Amino acid sequence: MTDAVLQPVTTALIELTLWTAIFATAKTNMIGGFGKESYLAYVLWTAFVGRIAANWMYEFKMADEIESGSINSILVRPTSFYGSYLSQFLGYKFIVSGFSLVFPLLASYWFHLPLISLRILPALALIVYYLILMHTISFVIATLAFHLTRIHSITVAKNLALWLVTGELIPLDLFPEGIRQVVLWLPFSSGVYIPVAYLTGRISEDLLYRGFLSTTLGIIFFGAVGAMMWRWGLTKYTGTGA
Amino acid sequence: MSLVIETKGLSRIFKSYEKPEGLWQSIRGFWDRKYIEKIALAPTDLKIESGQIVGLVGANGAGKTTLLKMLSGLIHPTSGTASVLGYQPWERNPNFLRRMSILLGQKNQLWWDISPSDSFNLLAEIYDLDKKLALEKAMELAGILDCKHVLNTQLRRLSLGERMKMEIIGSLLHSPDVLFLDEPTIGLDIVAQTAIRKFMMEYVKNKGPTVILTSHYMDDIAKLADRLLLISKGAIVYDGTVQGFMNKTESTQKVSFSVSEALSQALELTSDLILQAGEQQFSFEIPSTRLAPILSKVTTLSGVLDLKIEEANFEDVIHRFLEKESRILSPSRPH
Repeated sequence: MTDAVLQPVTTALIELTLWTAIFATAKTNMIGGFGKESYLAYVLWTAFVGRIAANWMYEFKMADEIESGSINSILVRPTSFYGSYLSQFLGYKFIVSGFSLVFPLLASYWFHLPLISLRILPALALIVYYLILMHTISFVIATLAFHLTRIHSITVAKNLALWLVTGELIPLDLFPEGIRQVVLWLPFSSGVYIPVAYLTGRISEDLLYRGFLSTTLGIIFFGAVGAMMWRWGLTKYTGTGA
Repeated sequence: MSLVIETKGLSRIFKSYEKPEGLWQSIRGFWDRKYIEKIALAPTDLKIESGQIVGLVGANGAGKTTLLKMLSGLIHPTSGTASVLGYQPWERNPNFLRRMSILLGQKNQLWWDISPSDSFNLLAEIYDLDKKLALEKAMELAGILDCKHVLNTQLRRLSLGERMKMEIIGSLLHSPDVLFLDEPTIGLDIVAQTAIRKFMMEYVKNKGPTVILTSHYMDDIAKLADRLLLISKGAIVYDGTVQGFMNKTESTQKVSFSVSEALSQALELTSDLILQAGEQQFSFEIPSTRLAPILSKVTTLSGVLDLKIEEANFEDVIHRFLEKESRILSPSRPH
């Protein structure tokens, strides 16, 4: 309930208050080419989508399993560590999203904020696809636990970096154009900015397709790194924890 | 009988960072580290045939668990090869993992937050078993182990003995051909130990898997194993039958007695066995061949009470043997 409702509702209220105040004092109706309603819709959806797209709980769990040696129970069975955690992660996110996304949906209709209904499903598909990328990155970080102890700070640092490059902190439209283009080619913008900007009408289909492409490349890249780290880690594993 | 497990020069060395005392030494450790290499298992050649029950015995840190972990594919060796059921274990081929099971007595392998029934359902899914048949088998095993009543209770809420029984059922659900049991009765009370030992004896007799069993309780080994491997400081120091081991070692007797008043002066029974002055209680082990002359000296003492003579059991003999071996073998080498 905390992850699905309390946290995103609190974040949405803070962000909505902040952007309302910014527009009230800015003496302009447009910032970065978009109006107040557009920003309010963006921050509202971002608060919820950002929570869905983030992964720290299962990353901690994976790292803890390796560190404590409880991964033994997976290693001796015909199952995959990556696969079993992916199914848990997606299952959890499916339930959380079901509850969570009702709030911005209702708020958008209630306050007449920009929302293109036909774009909801493609945007959700990109978020689900991005979750596979997130899990793959978490897997790479968790494999560090084969060599290091207390790797939780790496997860915290990663999530802070993602907060910025996914567009959760501020819309990518406010970045300098050169940086914005680079960030848009990175797969991380598929977590928050692209799906939210797409369903609130800030961007066109082209960027959505680019999001699918960059996420695919991201999954392949981090998947290859993860597989290598996993094999290397197992050669160092002592079965009692790092 | 066919060979199920074969190792050639299988060894594992663990490398750890030596952390000296104090803050400055800790900081210095960032650029000037000293490592210690510990030979957990010296190069080992081993052949185990189908259906054998092998008891692996050794002191803490002798290398028993390391050997089991390598044979089950949990850890990689430093050198050497191993073949279990025709597979190299650490490649973790799913067909190999479907045919073996390892039970680590000090680690939970079932899921902590769900009931054993749910865990068994999940295991049926993982091992591609017919769910109905798997649950029937779990019920049957739980019946034999007298723990049907806890099948639907969260694992975290069970006692240690109940948890271990559930772990045993979980490890046998897919009828493994090879079973590695690492301290299956550790920490259990005598009732639970006996129940599990009896259950394992029946199971092994009926199903005939190949078993490697480690245990600190020599009763487990004496009653279950038909082959004994003694391991000390990473090296196998005896490989044969339990009876063969007892025959090979010198028969000994445990003598204990007290005297009504503390000894006024020391009494030399043999050159290496002296009863000290001022003491009242005595207990020692001696070779059976020296029993008669020693007893004749003991009976010269006045006020001898509670004189007991017992033949040293399997556990005593093993402990003495391993103690002697550990004095001979060197444990680690600095790097």
